[in-house]
Amino acid sequence: MTRKKVTLLACFLILFLSSCGSENTNKNNRIVIGIPADINTFNPLFAFTVDEGAITELLYLSLADFRWNKEQGELEAFPMLAKSWEWAKDSSSITFHLRDDVKWSDGVPLTANDVVFSLDVYSDPMVDSRLYGIFEDVYTDNENHIDIKKTFTVKSDYELQINFKPNSSPDLIDIVHPVIPKHIFEKYDRKDLATAKDNFNPVTNGAFVLKKWDRNQSIILGVNKNSFLYNPDNIDELVFKIIPEYTSRLIQLTKGEIDLMETIKTGDIDDLKSNEKIVVESIRGREYEYVGWNNIDPKTYNEKKEIVPNILFGNRKTRIALTYAINRQEILEDYLYNYGELAATPISPIFKNDIDPNIKQYEYNPDMARKILKDEGWTDSNNNGTIDRNGTEFEFTLTIPSGNPLRPYEATIIKNNLKAVGIEVNIETQELGAMLDDIDAKKRDAWILAQYVPIPIDLKSYWYSDLRNTQLNFVSYQNKKADEIIEELTAHLPKDRQKELYYQFQEIIHKDQPVTFMYWMADIVGINKRVKNINITPFGAITHCWEWAVK
Amino acid sequence: MNKDILKALTKRIVSSIVTILLLISFLFILVRLSPGDPTQKFLSPDFSPELKQQVMANFKLDQSVTEQYLNFLGNIFRGDFGVSYDYRMPVFSVIWQFLSFTLVFTSISFLIQIFLSYYFALKSIKKSGGLLDKLLSKSSLVVYATPSFVLGVFLIFIFSAKLDLFPSAGLKSLDFDSFSFLGKLWDYIIHLTLPLITLSLAGIAMFYKYLRDNLEEVYRQDFILNLRASGYSESTILKKHVLPNAVRPLISVAGIELGILLGGTLITEVIFGLPGMGRLMMTSIFSRDYPLVVGCAFVAGLLMIITNFIADLVKMKMDKRMIKGLMN
Repeated sequence: MTRKKVTLLACFLILFLSSCGSENTNKNNRIVIGIPADINTFNPLFAFTVDEGAITELLYLSLADFRWNKEQGELEAFPMLAKSWEWAKDSSSITFHLRDDVKWSDGVPLTANDVVFSLDVYSDPMVDSRLYGIFEDVYTDNENHIDIKKTFTVKSDYELQINFKPNSSPDLIDIVHPVIPKHIFEKYDRKDLATAKDNFNPVTNGAFVLKKWDRNQSIILGVNKNSFLYNPDNIDELVFKIIPEYTSRLIQLTKGEIDLMETIKTGDIDDLKSNEKIVVESIRGREYEYVGWNNIDPKTYNEKKEIVPNILFGNRKTRIALTYAINRQEILEDYLYNYGELAATPISPIFKNDIDPNIKQYEYNPDMARKILKDEGWTDSNNNGTIDRNGTEFEFTLTIPSGNPLRPYEATIIKNNLKAVGIEVNIETQELGAMLDDIDAKKRDAWILAQYVPIPIDLKSYWYSDLRNTQLNFVSYQNKKADEIIEELTAHLPKDRQKELYYQFQEIIHKDQPVTFMYWMADIVGINKRVKNINITPFGAITHCWEWAVK
Repeated sequence: MNKDILKALTKRIVSSIVTILLLISFLFILVRLSPGDPTQKFLSPDFSPELKQQVMANFKLDQSVTEQYLNFLGNIFRGDFGVSYDYRMPVFSVIWQFLSFTLVFTSISFLIQIFLSYYFALKSIKKSGGLLDKLLSKSSLVVYATPSFVLGVFLIFIFSAKLDLFPSAGLKSLDFDSFSFLGKLWDYIIHLTLPLITLSLAGIAMFYKYLRDNLEEVYRQDFILNLRASGYSESTILKKHVLPNAVRPLISVAGIELGILLGGTLITEVIFGLPGMGRLMMTSIFSRDYPLVVGCAFVAGLLMIITNFIADLVKMKMDKRMIKGLMN
């Protein structure tokens, strides 16, 4: 009896050990990408997050395809749903010639009416689309809804003219967005589009179609063999596997259960590099870390809505002293292992044409910081170790968001660096949502955050003086000359003039130091070497996936 | 007696409804008064002030908290908890997708906890003071004190990364649909083994400690000596007299534990990437998905009340004298 039991147990164990183990996810022509969180929609109207944007762009194509030109450091537009386009001589309109071989995944042909419908819905105030309120160059009503009759001239099913307002400065990127199917979404009441069933079982026009969506587990996209982008030599299937825990994602990458993951911590790079199956790449120049100095007095702004310079950070020379006092290079080397580069202005080094090479970094120099602070009247008059001026001690709270171990590390270095020049820093950790609320309300003195920068360059959203309508100008930076430059840059300008203005802006912002620009951080990507034709650009790794192949 | 039970039962149901109503009302107001709002996650240059206002208006967050609360009360009596801001689906449709997994997963874990702790406690008490008893008592403390995130990561590291015996995350394989019925069952087993160990070990240790101590205490009672003197066999004493007395206090604890488990097993779900209520609740709090936060709290509260009620019914079944006390 006992022998029988032992034999049974042994058989069970053998069966068990032979059948379990890692999943063979990499069979066929499939590539698996590990992502930390599920998406909530397949409809580009509501694709607010980075992953939603990346996935919906694989399912829904736009009239043109934007690619990054590494040599020039600028965007280039290529034909996609439109075979070609031409601008009117005075830029008052653009005419698109659409491909006539594109069909929706249910077999219905894609026409110019779908494009018109898409832009109509994107701008409809009833819809809450992610692009609502941005269509400034075309004709709109009082609620920013595009005026269809004035804006569009449908010349045929495959020829569409878009008309712009007089004196506007239209750009292709402002009007080219993923096209959604009119015949599917026109049957919904506009205000019900956000909850439409077709958002989860989408009819698409892209290089991929949705095969299966297992909520919080995986999203399986199959290649669309009817698409003009289809290449039988490339992948058949693209899977987004949702793995919330970072360590699990990393283990799956090293085991070959997933082929790609982004946002790898710098401490794990060496281990990954020693893995012969993995190649480590980095996406550079899209995100900079900064210490925000509230340029205005929080109390006066919140109580009286008046703008008064911050007693500690309202003066540009003081802010320069703070930058001199912080050893950014130390953090870059010790924590980020040099995966990044020191930042001097908010213009990313990827914009090779527009970055001013004459801007010099404020290198770590505590003596210079002390001198400037002394010149500004900050001395330790009461010998308590903290500098003061007119009875005000130079002491403030530095707020950091919880959840990222880089922030406490940075904050501790900054605290010690500033202590060395006589400034007392108290570190406070806050949940990101609560912190953003406070920063938005101008209630915080100083904080550490990262800023993701858009392509093409957008200065108005971050550095324009109108604090009501520039919601990302958290530090309340105000400079009339900078405003003039920003306003001029919103128009269509010759490249030389544009470059000149960007140079001028960088000079101003460098001298004003509204924030201490810490460094441009690289997003580290781990990729299995079996993945071929992958092109890492500032747009990220997950783009143009229909061109990927498996070795 | 039946009338008394009915009265007590009605009283209990009413008090449960009031408790849940207070819970969700408190939460409704708290989440709205706490910093942050649901539009923060959209923050980008594209997210114009116009769109922010529009979104806030569509979420009805431009109204005062009092107005929102009155609307909310009106709606919940019609069974409408609203539409999730993130999922863009009715709250209960979202919760159901996650609750079904949690119900199955935690029920299995709960059964494992009860049966294994019962088994070990009996083994332990039969040879009280022996090597096994000492070993189990000491190790149960260590296991109970080990945080589940440490245990989970440790198990992944050993059994997944190093030995490659189990997948490190997920509920099923990508090719799950192509498997046979047995293949699917096996796939679930290998995916859920490490999560079940992580979730169950602390519970096994806790129940074991409770049950073992209770058994020891009952064995020390005078009436056991009396029974032994009367010539009853050890097995009869254990089954008929010791166990019922020792298990009874455990049932209340088990009721609460099951309620907590069903409310979501956050850490295990996050570490192993499982689609459960705990993860849903956490993400809804971070993204300020107010209707979903309140919906999750409602379901968790309801489950807690139901499991406690079931525990009380079990206790009643074991000892009819407890009916009145428990019902009140």
